[in-house]
Amino acid sequence: MSILLTGIGVARGIAIGKAHLLLCEAPEIVEYRLPNDLLEKEVRRFDAALEQARSHLQTIRNHLPISTPADVAAFIDIHLLMLEDSTLSQVPIDLIRDSHCNAEWALKQQRDNLVQVFEAMDDPYLRTRKDDVDQVVNLVQRVLMGKSLGWENGANRLRGLIIVAEELSPADAVFFFHEGIAALITERGGPTSHTAILARSLDLPTIAGMRRARQFIADGDTIILDGRQGVALVDPDARALQHYHQRRQEQRLHFAALIQLRNIPATTRDGRRVRLMANIELPEDIEELNEVGAEGVGLYRTEFLFMNRNTAPDEEEQFAIYQSLVQAMNGRPVTIRTIDLGADKPFAGITLGHIATNPALSLRGIRLCLRTPQLFIPQLRAILRASAFGPVRMALPLITNSAEIIQVRHLLDQVRRDLRHEGHSFDENLSLGGIIEVPAAALTISELAHHLDFFSLGTNDLIQYTLAIDRIDDQVSYLYNPLHPAILRLIYIALRAGIKANIPIAMCGEMAGDSRFTRLLIGMGLQELSMRPISLPEIKQVINTSVYTPLAQLARRVIYARDSSAISVLMEKINANL
Amino acid sequence: MRKTQITIINRRGLHARAAARLITLASKFESEIILSNNEKRANGKSILPVMMLAAVQGTLLELTANGHDEDRAIKELVALIENRFDEAE
Repeated sequence: MSILLTGIGVARGIAIGKAHLLLCEAPEIVEYRLPNDLLEKEVRRFDAALEQARSHLQTIRNHLPISTPADVAAFIDIHLLMLEDSTLSQVPIDLIRDSHCNAEWALKQQRDNLVQVFEAMDDPYLRTRKDDVDQVVNLVQRVLMGKSLGWENGANRLRGLIIVAEELSPADAVFFFHEGIAALITERGGPTSHTAILARSLDLPTIAGMRRARQFIADGDTIILDGRQGVALVDPDARALQHYHQRRQEQRLHFAALIQLRNIPATTRDGRRVRLMANIELPEDIEELNEVGAEGVGLYRTEFLFMNRNTAPDEEEQFAIYQSLVQAMNGRPVTIRTIDLGADKPFAGITLGHIATNPALSLRGIRLCLRTPQLFIPQLRAILRASAFGPVRMALPLITNSAEIIQVRHLLDQVRRDLRHEGHSFDENLSLGGIIEVPAAALTISELAHHLDFFSLGTNDLIQYTLAIDRIDDQVSYLYNPLHPAILRLIYIALRAGIKANIPIAMCGEMAGDSRFTRLLIGMGLQELSMRPISLPEIKQVINTSVYTPLAQLARRVIYARDSSAISVLMEKINANL
Repeated sequence: MRKTQITIINRRGLHARAAARLITLASKFESEIILSNNEKRANGKSILPVMMLAAVQGTLLELTANGHDEDRAIKELVALIENRFDEAE
């Protein structure tokens, strides 16, 4: 009999394969005593196992896909550092020598000691670091017990299988990926875990948070997995199998076709044009932007220029970067967001000496820019000077009231006078806009509109501030819901006010690049979406197969829907045939 | 020997990645480097002991360096901690 299991879809794609369960992660360890003359041999066996574990992780580190985010790679580096740490590399050796025990037992003793310390910690985040200890220790135990780590033989005995595990380390995920597995299911974890981020960059269909999956799935069961919906059908019947084989085939063709959309504009079937822009963090990202055919830069996050260094980049350095970006875009607009750093985003060279009790509500975004003119003025000058080379729009982060914008306008007037005086050229009509990411700004957009030329909705922060949740906090991350009626109404209020004030409103948050929301957003009236380049072809595909007029009506019904379940029903209608 | 006190100000405290950055920097110096949090002491070049200090945001740490490059070690380690380990949080 088929059973349907649900979890959190963290990496899209349909996979069909046989289940391979990873059972007890902690192997059974037995203790035995060694005679004196075998102790040094045991020590050497332990050293060799450490070395093999290190080289295993190193190999995985070298096989990470180029698109792997730096923090995932850092995670593997942490495991390598742990293997180097004398706490794990030397203490067990002392134990072998002192208590004449086998290497596995010595390592287990030390692991228990370490885990005990972590488990006693008050901080929930630090407490879960015991998982890192376990992952590293288990790797060494596997070697000690003569289990192959599999990497070197390339036997691909896992090819086509769907791995079902309690939790995987990112290193395991990379390893399994290279073994050719079809998909992953984990009982723990969520959309922001390292393994989830990695699965997305590997394009490996993955479901996380499928509780007790290993109780319902047996080794060898056939599974159909839909990594977008977060559902797995165990032991499907012939009809379901046929249906999904077909869906999988369609999906493969679909991804291949997407890239060919590059030179086609995004237009609904009834002719409504939507501009698709790219969010970039570094000037290098422009290559990817061109590959997917973005129409401009909708958000350039300049704070990355300020991170990982000891002094802030000066005006000339910033000018050179902005200028080359504007020139490379060759007439397409570049939206430069001024430094969006603050109490929660550290940066080199600047120490405010202020510990915010609540960084998200403290000195950040435009507040920080206005507080640190030594940073802000050089950036304003550099952006203005770059505007002489092509269309530039300047966006201010975290605005909440007009006074902030008036202050920026005053500074800009001063900077313009200085630049003119110094003989620099710039665009006299440079557009100034604001990122709407605080409910206060969304609700008063018509007042802010008197002072600005455009807006962009930053949905990530808008959702966090509106719903009062920190989405990297596992305890409340389940409440992060872009379709919460409050979010939809705020967006709608902002869009309507924008139309009234005749001021364009774009969206640059993650919602803009999530194809589940595209039809709703264009139905609500958005005509400019900015997203990570990788999402762009799919969003374009969705727009080009949509019809605006009925979506506009459905979107209105979503906004006035009674509750979340009514919204879900309407969303299914909106996304029909997608 | 140089000694100084410093408060951990980044939101997640001396978590894994921060500890990794700290020990990687500490390992560049020849001086012996010790971090202590009340009665707990850790070798500043060893990741697990540093993580086990459980230094959450607001923890006051004592940083000790002993060796010919102790001045530079203290200066750079303090800068790293003050810069919240150069990380977005």
